[in-house]
Amino acid sequence: MLTYSLLAGLLFGLYFSLVGLGLNLVFGVMRIVNLAHGDFLMLGAYCAFWLYTLFGVDPVFAIPVAFVLFGLVGLPLYYLLVPRLLAARDPEMLSIILFFGLSQVIEALATIAFGTSEQSIPGGDLGRALREGWGRLTGHEIESGPVEIFGQSFPSAWIISGVASLIAVALVYLYLYRTRTGYLTRAVMSRRDEALATGIDVNRVSAIAFGIGIALAAVGGVFAPFMLGSITPAMGVDSTVVSFAVIVMGSLGNPLGTVLGGLVYGVSYMLVQSYLSSWANLLPYLLLIAILLVRPSGLLGKRVRLA
Amino acid sequence: MPTETPLLSTRAVEARYGRMQVLWGVDIDIQPGETILLLGANGAGKTTFLKTLVGLLPASAGVISFAGEDIAHLRADKRMRRGIAYMSELGVFPDLTIEENIRIGAQALSTRAARDKAEDMYALFPVLKEKRSGLASSLSGGQRKMLGIAKALAADPRLLVMDEPSAGLSPLFVGEVVRTLGALRGRGLAMLIAEQNIGFLGIATRVYVLEGGRIGFSGTVAAMEGDEALRKAYFGLK
Repeated sequence: MLTYSLLAGLLFGLYFSLVGLGLNLVFGVMRIVNLAHGDFLMLGAYCAFWLYTLFGVDPVFAIPVAFVLFGLVGLPLYYLLVPRLLAARDPEMLSIILFFGLSQVIEALATIAFGTSEQSIPGGDLGRALREGWGRLTGHEIESGPVEIFGQSFPSAWIISGVASLIAVALVYLYLYRTRTGYLTRAVMSRRDEALATGIDVNRVSAIAFGIGIALAAVGGVFAPFMLGSITPAMGVDSTVVSFAVIVMGSLGNPLGTVLGGLVYGVSYMLVQSYLSSWANLLPYLLLIAILLVRPSGLLGKRVRLA
Repeated sequence: MPTETPLLSTRAVEARYGRMQVLWGVDIDIQPGETILLLGANGAGKTTFLKTLVGLLPASAGVISFAGEDIAHLRADKRMRRGIAYMSELGVFPDLTIEENIRIGAQALSTRAARDKAEDMYALFPVLKEKRSGLASSLSGGQRKMLGIAKALAADPRLLVMDEPSAGLSPLFVGEVVRTLGALRGRGLAMLIAEQNIGFLGIATRVYVLEGGRIGFSGTVAAMEGDEALRKAYFGLK
């Protein structure tokens, strides 16, 4: 039981890292709190759901679709909302109010469009097209059943989700540390005023980061039917709270600290699910309070908490 | 007084924070290769003027021209690409490495040219080369100023604008910064140094004194030394 909980916790932890990654990138670059983060995750989940339901598209292929689509939504949304926010006297407080409003609007529109019923995608259908393609290519079928690790069985969707989350984290790392726009992004994260003084086009860099942040939320949403069981238009708020717990634990403003926060949250989540399941819904709030009381700068201890 | 077309010229520049006007009709001229010292006490409007020059604060009135082009409407990044580099009081990104700081200074160049530019900067500031992979936050105050200068120079500017390069430094390090900037003269680079520290007079071609947001004096170092009120204010002489 303990081994299962720990391993499942690590898989969920990787997924929660992906869920929080975009939120932390946006906070790190803009120092604004995107309370609609979970709602973009919910929209990403519905994107995968409708592609699957209407066209039979394997949710794995919904990943690039969701990333590009929501990245493209994020760019104009940035120019519509954020520069005005940042020009305000208290952009952090204003961002909380504005994005809370946006979150409510998205949830209301999604409820009108999709209804309130819970929706899901069968776990075995995640990666089915890839398995079939591999089978045709090599003549060896890959089973869609559970995968065994250290003698414990896990749904294949959890493994795919964990691997995809690791790839997403690695790509964000490569973007931030190996590309020109990436280190301009880190410069803005380090000192926005100095970035302006150095002649960096801060709005362009921030818009790209905002687009990537929302795109990552949507990609997290693609895996929501498999990791969270089902999706509804109301799931955004819970996803935002979980994202906050993860990034506060890791380190606010440090996207890579999200991984640590995600793993700690994931393992705690599975341990509570296994041994005290009725407490599971309280976990993000309890962890948030505990970390703020004991180590307010997060586990990595970076001094960036301004909001 | 120089007569050729100025590299940078401001006429009747005004700036304000909300309703509070900070600059009042500021006129300055900088010729190519000149080193101008902008002296002024705290609150005189030096930083505001520099921010207005480089595009971090909009001028509420007046004309700013660079190499004959009106740049008052241009954003900071566009002005940088025209050849104006700004070194703020902080001057560096503390969470980035020394190499990354210099590369960011050279952001307008191609990747290869930026790499070459970083090597040029290491030749100019060997102490930075030894620590190129270290974070800027690990440098001493004087070394950070060197990095700030290297980062600004990496942009290949025609005008280097500096806000109090002596801020937070001990007299020993101030001397080091003055020597470094002195060594940059004669390369065709114009410099505008906003300072309270008269230690920079030795490298200045001309001096402007900003008082209450207005230019109170402009002239050569010798003329400034001959002005009794300024002698009292800046040299502590009676």
